[in-house]
Amino acid sequence: MNDADNDYRKFFYPPGGILIWMIIFVELITFSLGLIAMVYYGKSEATLYHSSCLKLNKNIAIINTIVLLTSSYFIATAIQFVKNENTRKATYYIRLTIIFGFIFVCLKSFEYYLKIEAGEFLTTNLFYTFYWMLTAFHLIHVLIGLSILSYFYIAISKKENAIELTDMMAGAAFWHMCDLIWLLLFPVLYLLF
Amino acid sequence: MKNKIVWIFLILFTLLTFFISEKNFALIAILIIAVLKLLMVAFQFMELKKAHFFWRITFSLLIMIVTLTLYLLRN
Repeated sequence: MNDADNDYRKFFYPPGGILIWMIIFVELITFSLGLIAMVYYGKSEATLYHSSCLKLNKNIAIINTIVLLTSSYFIATAIQFVKNENTRKATYYIRLTIIFGFIFVCLKSFEYYLKIEAGEFLTTNLFYTFYWMLTAFHLIHVLIGLSILSYFYIAISKKENAIELTDMMAGAAFWHMCDLIWLLLFPVLYLLF
Repeated sequence: MKNKIVWIFLILFTLLTFFISEKNFALIAILIIAVLKLLMVAFQFMELKKAHFFWRITFSLLIMIVTLTLYLLRN
């Protein structure tokens, strides 16, 4: 165990820093409350929820889940290379993470296009209100995550050690948070009803 | 290497969720798999396993409380 790993054991120094973990907790609680509200209101509109859920494209959702999990694996690997001071490999894995992030955005956009084509909007029914609100807010987080990763990629491509390890880990933790939120959204929105 | 093993399990769990979604026991199974996946991402990829006890227990409790609430409301 190195010095950095020992520091993580201290209360104020979780991996990535205390601030990003406070953000992660707030975001997880917010999205969880949204999902709990969705399921709660679903009790009184079971038929409507079931018929709306059946219309969602589960194939796109499962591919997107695999894409996000893979991108999470890539950024975790990139962080390991940053720790080992192998900038070339770290840059390569950050690039892969960004590519997979864009694949997620493209597939999500295609899914939205199909919904709009089918006339299933935010105001169609309560299920779609939750579907659009939760997935759109998640997509905004993914876009912010992609911006952070792109900044890292450009910065360390130009100059080695341009970014502190803690900052890199905080950015990676934000990207993982997008994955965590999606892992909560995916089963509830696409499979539970 | 550990990251790769966890990633393989995450993909397998995701595919498993998809295939069992029509079964009678799907609700409980889907939520248990979701909890496992969340913990795997946090503890391995985000290195939460190296963090202070407080962060590990708080995160685990939060995930479990949320999924238990979803299960009780849905069941």
